[in-house]
Amino acid sequence: MDDFFGQRYKKYMIIPIILLIPMLFLILVFPGITPGIDLTGGNVIIIRSAIELDKEQITSVLTESFDLVDLKVSTIASPTGYGAWIEYSKDPLTSQAEELLDKASASLDNDTESIAFSNELIVLLGGEAKEFSNAKLALLDAQDALLLYKEEFYLKLQNALSEKLALGQNVEFQRKEISPTIGGASFQGIIQISIIGFILIAIVVFVAFRQLVPSAAIIQAMIFDIIAGLAGMALLNIPLSLTTMPALLLLVGYSVDTDIMLTSRVLKEKSGTAGERATTSMKTGLTMTGTTIAALTAMLIISYFYQIEIIYHISAILLFGLVGDVIATWFMNAPILLWFKEGRK
Amino acid sequence: MKLLTNWRILLLVIALLLAFGIIFVNTGHDENGYLGNTNVKLGLDFEGGTLLQIELQKEVEVDELTRIASIISQRIDPSGLRDFTVTPVGKQFIIIQVSETDAVELEKIESRIRQQGKFEANLNGETVFTGDEIKKVLRGDNSFGVYQAGPGAYEWSLPFVLNEQATISFTEKTFHQCSATSFTPEGKPIYDCEKTIFFLDKPNALIVIDEDQYYEDSEAIFVGDTLLNIPQQSDIEEIIQDSQLNFIVYDGNLDPTILAGALLKTQQAIVSPGIGNDVILALQEKGFEVTKYPKNDAPWTWDVLNAQQIISLTEGITNEDVADISQAKQFSNLRISGRRESADIAFSELDELAILLESGSLPTPVKSISKETISPSLGESFKSIVIMMAIIAFIVVGIVITIRYRNFKLAIPIFIIGGSEVLLNLGFIVLTQRPLDLAAFAGLIAAIGTGVDSEIVITDEIMAKSKKIKESLLSRAKAALFIIMTSAFTMIAVMLPITMFARSYPGIDKLYGFAIVAIVGALIGVFITRPAFTKILEKIAEGIEKKEDKEK
Repeated sequence: MDDFFGQRYKKYMIIPIILLIPMLFLILVFPGITPGIDLTGGNVIIIRSAIELDKEQITSVLTESFDLVDLKVSTIASPTGYGAWIEYSKDPLTSQAEELLDKASASLDNDTESIAFSNELIVLLGGEAKEFSNAKLALLDAQDALLLYKEEFYLKLQNALSEKLALGQNVEFQRKEISPTIGGASFQGIIQISIIGFILIAIVVFVAFRQLVPSAAIIQAMIFDIIAGLAGMALLNIPLSLTTMPALLLLVGYSVDTDIMLTSRVLKEKSGTAGERATTSMKTGLTMTGTTIAALTAMLIISYFYQIEIIYHISAILLFGLVGDVIATWFMNAPILLWFKEGRK
Repeated sequence: MKLLTNWRILLLVIALLLAFGIIFVNTGHDENGYLGNTNVKLGLDFEGGTLLQIELQKEVEVDELTRIASIISQRIDPSGLRDFTVTPVGKQFIIIQVSETDAVELEKIESRIRQQGKFEANLNGETVFTGDEIKKVLRGDNSFGVYQAGPGAYEWSLPFVLNEQATISFTEKTFHQCSATSFTPEGKPIYDCEKTIFFLDKPNALIVIDEDQYYEDSEAIFVGDTLLNIPQQSDIEEIIQDSQLNFIVYDGNLDPTILAGALLKTQQAIVSPGIGNDVILALQEKGFEVTKYPKNDAPWTWDVLNAQQIISLTEGITNEDVADISQAKQFSNLRISGRRESADIAFSELDELAILLESGSLPTPVKSISKETISPSLGESFKSIVIMMAIIAFIVVGIVITIRYRNFKLAIPIFIIGGSEVLLNLGFIVLTQRPLDLAAFAGLIAAIGTGVDSEIVITDEIMAKSKKIKESLLSRAKAALFIIMTSAFTMIAVMLPITMFARSYPGIDKLYGFAIVAIVGALIGVFITRPAFTKILEKIAEGIEKKEDKEK
């Protein structure tokens, strides 16, 4: 096949346009994209065990004995063992205590008031109110009380799970706790980074090709890739997080390679017709994307079975995005370029 | 061999040799925390450890945040033994990575971070007041600050308030601690007063110092050191007495009564570097946990005790004018002052001391601490899986390329260059002393991935077309160069913002390794490996074309 595009290239553009509809549905309507606890704050407990873990059982153990807000449980089985992912935003007592702590530290200048708040917290968490000579000391005791409470709460939770699920010794708990403000600040940062990154990449493309339509065609492909990556996240229930946002950026960096190669060959080279040049580009491009997709598939499978979340998320997003890129590059970017070339003749 | 004379190939070979040396030549570090026998330091994800993200009550200036970060480092590890990093981020966050994963130890660290540093002011071997008893440093007061007391003399003054109990005890303990040693020509007495010594986070341990160190310290402390706030003619014995610790100057014997006395209070012992292993063993037999504390710039004794300041009392507060303590005036508002030769130095001394008294509480309190722990065994298994993953990904890529070109000869250079890029990137990681964590690993994958992409472009540009048209090799290589340059710059463009904001927002710093490795990987590709690859391919293409010409 010397010219894959021929005269029918305009029709190809329908494919990505139609695909946009289900992808946008996945992202915006159902199941949608959820921000992860990195960005919202909350608690995660990851269990890795040699014994099978049951989602319902974990949920019932936790709801029976603990009052957890926004509890989410998911489990995974692989040849190497079993895993569970438990997420909750907070237990109400901790939130209440944290509020009191805020009040106590905000009113440090007023000894009596601040000590009262600290004592209220200590009593709330099951301690006894004390006489304090100054507010700073009271605050410290209150902070210690909260820390201790959190530790104990977590230990109780861990023990309850170990015992009731009979996990025995061969179990590994991993824990992550992010405060809402820290999550919010990270969110703000990652948004800023994404916007600037996108602007910079657009500048590089415009500087490289110095023509509006071809540059815009590359940028539409980038946007399509991001949409495909997001659709994959929605489908696999991967949250927007500090790992997945950079994965989307990386996707842009990766996928734009084929578009650049295509544009450069169609616009700058002279051999054969534009359609033929686009077709040889496609062979090169499919090899490029093909190697990456092959490597990512290997990583995806391994990281899924061994439950290395970060790599799993990154490779899943890249995989979806790159499949999207095949469509965006060869069914949209290439036809736009050919159309552009034809119009200029 | 002729290839080696080409500068592009030569550059690659030299770079590879350098990277090889950086990665593999043993620099004498211990084996823990490194990848096999290499100098590649492993990060939290592979070694296990805990990431603590501290949020302060309010936003502060960058200077202040740096200061708080340094106070926190001191608190986590007064003796400098733990492996950890403390990084200020943005305006109200501090990120700490420690190798610790034990819940109990972590709780201790957390509570120490939030806690007041344990400040105490001691006199004659007794505590006069502690940090807890300081109600407030009067930063807003008129008497807080620096003023010029004469030409080249700047007096700083630091007012603070003690709480009720401490006021009473202060009055008692300082009563008549000055004595008139002579008189002015006008007949007014000139007093010589006792000195208080300030400690912050003094260790609770038995201290054993070798004689040489003791005499060296004793001299250094007598000479004084303005930078360390040790006035001239200070007395090492006074510092030891005020530390209230059991202290042994080792002269060949360990005094059993001191040991027994110390054991009642603590099981910790800290020894100077000159103390031999036999003594350490003897201490361990007695039941002590022994730590050897290194000699830093400051006198060892001063350093190990965390002594901070020596401040002389003044006759104004020691009630020299009344005979009986019942008539003594009580001072709850105290003022510490000193004189320095320039306003800047005076200010920084004032500042340092104010923080000392306040920390006490950190200048700005900690609002919350977020944490994430990865257990060492989990990290260990991550390590082997990730290595396996990299190898499999490499093989898979190799298979795809071989199938596509149906020519193993073309796949080999791609492999060699891919391997070179891994080595060069690792070399960079070692050179910058960054740890290899999952993020850096992802960056490495990104770099190698674009590398392979570019090599395919170069291969197709030079090879596939050679059959159709007789464009010069040079112009074909140039076309390839434009494509790989542009794609490298897009990668840099998209990663650059991450490196720019890594210190501005919490969480983003975790991605710094990812971004910087991806960027450097792109640069290494554009300037070192891909030019060499192009050269190799040109040679192969020339060979094939010659063969084709002959066949014709």
